[in-house]
Amino acid sequence: MDENVKKFRIIRNVIAVVFVIIILTSIRLQIIEGKKYYRLSEKNRIRQKYNPAPRGIVFDRNGIEIANTRPGFYVSAIQSIIDENTLNEITEILDIDEEMVREKFRLEENPFMPVKIAHDIPYKQLSIIEEKMDVLKGIEVGVEPLRNYPYGEVLCHVLGYVGEITNRELQGNIDYSINDYIGRMGLEESYENHLRGVDGIEYVEIDARGREVGKITEKRPTSIINGKDIYTTIDCALSESVAVYLGKYRKAACVCLDPRNGEIFVLYSKPGFDPNLFVHGLRKEEWQILNTTPEAPMYNRATMSCYPAGSTFKPFVALAALDSKMITEETCFAPCRGKYRLGRRIFKCWKAHGKRNLIGAIVHSCDIYFYQLGRFIGIDTMVSIAREVGFGKKTEIDIPNEKGGLLPDRKWFENRYGDNWTEGHVFNFSIGQGDLLVTPLQLACAFTVFANDGKICVPHIVKKEKHDYHTTAISKEAIATVKEALGEVVSSGTGTLARVKDYVVCGKTGTAQNPHGEDHSLFVGFAPIDNPRVLVCVFVENAGHGGSVAAPIAGKILKYWLNKNYTEQHAQKN
Amino acid sequence: MHKRTNLGLIASITILSVIGLMMIYSTADPTIFLKQSMWLVIAVSVAFIFSKISPRIWITLAPFLYFGIILLLFILLFTDGSYPKRWFRFGTIYIQPSEFAKFATILFLASFLAARRKLKRLSDIFIPLIIVTIPALLIFLEPDLGAAQIFFPILILMLYWAGLPGVKIFVFFSPIISAAASFSIYVWVAYFVALTVFLYFHKQLSDFVYGIVGNFLSGLIMPLVWNSLKTYQQQRIISFFSPWVDPRGMSWQIIQSKIAIGSGGIIGKGFLSGTQKKLEFLPEKHTDFIFSCLGEEFGLIGTTLTTIAFVYLFYRLLVLAKETKNRFASICISGILAWIGYQTCLNIGMTMGLLPITGVPLPFISYGGSSLLTCFMAIGLCLAISRSKFRY
Repeated sequence: MDENVKKFRIIRNVIAVVFVIIILTSIRLQIIEGKKYYRLSEKNRIRQKYNPAPRGIVFDRNGIEIANTRPGFYVSAIQSIIDENTLNEITEILDIDEEMVREKFRLEENPFMPVKIAHDIPYKQLSIIEEKMDVLKGIEVGVEPLRNYPYGEVLCHVLGYVGEITNRELQGNIDYSINDYIGRMGLEESYENHLRGVDGIEYVEIDARGREVGKITEKRPTSIINGKDIYTTIDCALSESVAVYLGKYRKAACVCLDPRNGEIFVLYSKPGFDPNLFVHGLRKEEWQILNTTPEAPMYNRATMSCYPAGSTFKPFVALAALDSKMITEETCFAPCRGKYRLGRRIFKCWKAHGKRNLIGAIVHSCDIYFYQLGRFIGIDTMVSIAREVGFGKKTEIDIPNEKGGLLPDRKWFENRYGDNWTEGHVFNFSIGQGDLLVTPLQLACAFTVFANDGKICVPHIVKKEKHDYHTTAISKEAIATVKEALGEVVSSGTGTLARVKDYVVCGKTGTAQNPHGEDHSLFVGFAPIDNPRVLVCVFVENAGHGGSVAAPIAGKILKYWLNKNYTEQHAQKN
Repeated sequence: MHKRTNLGLIASITILSVIGLMMIYSTADPTIFLKQSMWLVIAVSVAFIFSKISPRIWITLAPFLYFGIILLLFILLFTDGSYPKRWFRFGTIYIQPSEFAKFATILFLASFLAARRKLKRLSDIFIPLIIVTIPALLIFLEPDLGAAQIFFPILILMLYWAGLPGVKIFVFFSPIISAAASFSIYVWVAYFVALTVFLYFHKQLSDFVYGIVGNFLSGLIMPLVWNSLKTYQQQRIISFFSPWVDPRGMSWQIIQSKIAIGSGGIIGKGFLSGTQKKLEFLPEKHTDFIFSCLGEEFGLIGTTLTTIAFVYLFYRLLVLAKETKNRFASICISGILAWIGYQTCLNIGMTMGLLPITGVPLPFISYGGSSLLTCFMAIGLCLAISRSKFRY
């Protein structure tokens, strides 16, 4: 029986080892990691129920809501409950991409958390879902505040839009969850933290199927904090009118602001998009269309498009010349015969202007005068004034993705062209062509130097108590002289179509040469000449001469503003 | 040594049954609790009757029971019914023949082994292997992998207890290890070298030849068979043998079970107050995962007490097996020990995340009439052996 005793011992030891393993594992789970598992069990049963806060309202300068909130129905799904059939059925009812829903599920780690799969569903779909609620396991319907843009396309580039947060935005961002909206582009992006409220949180007990079993009393709910409102300087009625004025052109941009303080009335870019579309989530095809349209509707031409300044640059060349005291307003150069020979190259003017002084050259926009003037005063003098008025750098407007344009200086030319850098480049530069690139907003701000007697305003869309300026050291006389000439441009020169009855309008036309097609037409103007209170910059792509296309539109805008303010002031007096 | 009844056995199964009833009361609705109570009454009565029957009678009955149950398994498999084909249904009562098959197979195998005094050769394993493989295969086809696999630890322990040296058993089953190791060429080569060295020092020519040839062939054939399968077939096999890999890619059940046990802490959340259980985060809470609920509601105290009760039961069975002089009775007890012991380890290990999910009930505690009844039958037999004249 020795044999039996030996086997007995072996089996007994095996039992002992198993016993020790079980007890040790119990101790590990229940004592060493007990707290962790307790937390996990609490996390299992307690769901934070988010009550989304409405975003702040955006007002225009007259107190009209240009972005507000409306209620909308959403559909959410709980991963742990929903099955394949339900998923198929709900995506069919809602007409959404099943893959997109799966992608959202992947982003939510907690399988009991409802994931919103469709926003702003129409009543028809809602009633179908309500009808089938018993069959659709794991589907919930609720009401949430949705962003609404009453002016649609007109203000899309100012406001931007809100869209569902993406995977990439969510990475490492603890402030947001998968069901959140986030502001993109425009004010929605730059004032995201201001506009966005704080979601209220309720704690509810749920079972393994994600169903609410009851309220949790040991944790206090937090209430919703609404997003803060924003008061802007935008004039939505004028913006709408601008959209009408530019109606027949495909691609255009317009900036209209108060030169005294930089308040922007209109920031318009065409074509636009309907920001309301993003609220219910864009389909792949819709995105495709928005992103592949050659006109690039998502692109804000007023702040992001870099164009040659064309003849609108000439006033700054004149300013540089006068400020440096190298010439006077009476200085003449060789008369304009329509052509100018520089070495082997022929530079043309758009018309034979004859002999003109500085004023006449600005008024009639004589290229040949400015070629010679530019050569006379030199690239450095021109660049230093251009830099002072803000070319080549961002205006610091309070919406994102602004471009700074390009102001080529001596160093830039040397780097770019090396030995091939010739006077020809200086010639082109002095009439605003060639390498110089500006955005419409930059150009508008640069012109405030004339309207404001040397101060350049920093443009802004949100109302401010204190306005920022860049002060310049340019001589007041030089500014006054050029301003005078700008007045004559509209009264008797190239910009006569921008005239407004009863007011003296100053302005400058421009035709930006476009190697890819028809020239761009532009006009920058402000009024009235004494104490100007409105400045407008109109840019119409591929439309031809500045004097014939952009100037009349600018005239209408100026007229609108001047007359409106006149009647307003008049009404106040009575 | 002259006690008439084995109080240790009775005490441990009483504790386990009470824990079982409490946990079923906590985890399931009243009708299930009532059913289980009814089953317990029946099981205790049957155990009482069994304890009064002379163990000798089972030697005679064993072949009939064994072939009878195989016939039942066949009928179950080849009659139309719901899938999986695990139960005979009588109204609201389900009978699971696989549970009874374990008991019958132990009896039949014990009577077979008892008749052979000298078990020394590898070939002695052959017939016992067939005896257990037939019911195991039929149960596997139901399909119920969890129940089918239990037959093999039973076979191994009974062979060992009947006198076959452990080395022989190892050599006999080593080709299975070879097949498992063949999925990595390095592991397999290391294993094969170690085995060869071992067999060389073992100094038994027949074992050596069998071991080398068997391991080499199984290591060679397994990858060939595997590679000849289509990808989806491989997938099916993988998912069949690893049910813990669920489609969402996370072992949801194991995680929830560990959360339940761990969140119980030392003293537990209190009877009837387990949130994991109550809110249905725990799957199969009154059957396979009842131990997790126990851990959640009674904490470390509950799990330790239950484990001690089980271990004490196994120890009593082991002592009984050692002290029983009658060869048939002793081997029988070793089989019962292997069965209940292995099933307990498998279940508790699964709930703690130590072992894969196999879906075997926890003896005496999980809900299930057939399981409870057969466990009590086995205990009845042990009590009979304990008090009969087989014991000197």
